[in-house]
Amino acid sequence: MLRHLFTLMWNRRRANALLIIEILLAFVVLFAVGTIGAGLWANYRQPLGFEYNQAWQVNLAFGSQPRAERFGTLQQVLGRLRALPGVQGVAVSAANTPFSFNDSQMSVEKTDAQGRVVHSAETVNIFNVGPELRQVMNLNMMAGRWFEPADVAPSAHGPIVIDERLREAFFPSNEQAVGKLLSFDKKQWRVVGVMQAYRADGELQDPVPAVVQPVFAADTTFLPDALLLRVAAGSGAALEKRLTDEIRRIGPGWSATVRTLPEMHASQVKTLLTKPVLLSVMSIFLLLNMALGLFGVLWLNISQRRAELGVRRALGATAGAISRLVVGETLVVTTFGLVLGLLIAVQFPLLGAFEVPAGVYLTAMGLAAVGLYGLAAVCALYPGRLAAGIRPAVALREE
Amino acid sequence: MQSTSTTSPVIRLADIEKVYQTRTIETVALSQVNLTINRGEFVSVMGPSGCGKSTLLSLMGLLDEPSSGTIEIDGRPVTSYSDKELAGLRNHKIGFVFQSYHLINDLSVLDNVEMPLLYRPSIGGSERRRRALEALDKVGLNARTKHFPAQLSGGQRQRVAIARALAGQPEIILADEPTGNLDSVMGEEIMELLLGLNREQGTTLVMVTHDEQQALKTQRLIRFFDGRQVA
Repeated sequence: MLRHLFTLMWNRRRANALLIIEILLAFVVLFAVGTIGAGLWANYRQPLGFEYNQAWQVNLAFGSQPRAERFGTLQQVLGRLRALPGVQGVAVSAANTPFSFNDSQMSVEKTDAQGRVVHSAETVNIFNVGPELRQVMNLNMMAGRWFEPADVAPSAHGPIVIDERLREAFFPSNEQAVGKLLSFDKKQWRVVGVMQAYRADGELQDPVPAVVQPVFAADTTFLPDALLLRVAAGSGAALEKRLTDEIRRIGPGWSATVRTLPEMHASQVKTLLTKPVLLSVMSIFLLLNMALGLFGVLWLNISQRRAELGVRRALGATAGAISRLVVGETLVVTTFGLVLGLLIAVQFPLLGAFEVPAGVYLTAMGLAAVGLYGLAAVCALYPGRLAAGIRPAVALREE
Repeated sequence: MQSTSTTSPVIRLADIEKVYQTRTIETVALSQVNLTINRGEFVSVMGPSGCGKSTLLSLMGLLDEPSSGTIEIDGRPVTSYSDKELAGLRNHKIGFVFQSYHLINDLSVLDNVEMPLLYRPSIGGSERRRRALEALDKVGLNARTKHFPAQLSGGQRQRVAIARALAGQPEIILADEPTGNLDSVMGEEIMELLLGLNREQGTTLVMVTHDEQQALKTQRLIRFFDGRQVA
């Protein structure tokens, strides 16, 4: 029967050409939405590498205080905040805090003993943060160590901690990363530890390798844009007010705004999902149009084929077989459109387009195919039932 | 008229009445029809247009249900049969030939002839092909297997339709004006083919026709008028 269906639909390919094009276009839409969705899902499934539920961010503004005086005031502020009940840890940070949409990116290289570049990554997130970050964000070390007080001592190669993603890129096949030198910002840095992939950009954005550069208390050249705090469970508005009051009291002209990281996370997710959701809504309307078109064509088709369906009944087809014939024919036409669509879609993973992993494209192809078959089957069900209800004697007499 | 039939009944209609009803009109298509078709018989049905000949054939072919009365096939009443059982009977026991051929234009001659066998899951693709080719051979069209209906003459199309009816190796062939769309020469050819089937294979044939000459070649002639059997 399958061969019969393919033969019949192949012979009717010209009559079904517009339908096949419509299905091809629907596949393209589903593939695009599926790629975005599968990409987001693939990103979402990877660990963030930190805990943000009881973390807060304090954005600092230094007002008109002379720059030379700010560092001293900052040390007082840090000391006071660390002493506040409910505050479990405070780390200074540059502006690229988690979920902030701020990035500080550089290219990083690994060279061999002769100074030749053996690995390079164009886009690496560089985090300038206080060593307290590990405790504040609950970071997991995979190898080596975190920063320690002895790292403050001047050395030819400053200490850095890289994340697992950069280690995989630069030190494949379980090559030891700790103790090796990496170059960026026109200097060489020594890797002292490897932490779990640190995805401050959030779970929906493509993971980017990360390097943590410590900012020690003795570093008078660094003025943070923000403070990251770990607070006790249940901390709320009272602590928030206390924090801002203390900062204003100690820092002349200083101001501070406090946001919880869960709030920032929710806001980021909302922002990042806006476009995909809009695209999905638009594609739903497009697919609805396609479904209505398909439904209409099938309905018309049935009314034009009453005699043929009557003959099939006369030759021994049951009502169920007629219904299955209509659904089967629709699925075969869908297959024709799908094959054309897949020929286009398969170019994306083959060409490595948009640096999207091949798995995401393959998942999107699978989702689009299942979606199209599902939609086609649903559209064909009612015309199939109508066809099954045709009384053969009446249909043959009409002819 | 010839007489080669046995007396065992293959189709029996008892007190058949068929009424088509709309909201405003009730049309009696058949009334008080009692008819027996014996195995191996070639029966022709004649009558003016609208007298119920095609309705009679639809009822015999289990394509429609009577308003009242009983239809028996091989001595078993079929009124209580399910759709699946009726489809099975049509597929295995009955072959249809229509005035306007009712071939599927998008399928080749061979694919058209294979069609009844598609609804027999027990028959595989190669066996289907073999039987279809055998049926086409019987009607002298084995050189046209890859042609499409539109490439054939009317007589050839009717031969394909007969081959399609034969492919399922049915005991009964119901032919509704099989020569109605053909010129006299082609009509004669088709008539000879049907007579040959009856004579050589013992196929039971019921043929609706307007052609008295052709009807006289069959073993029995039944006449209808206004939904009633008059002779």
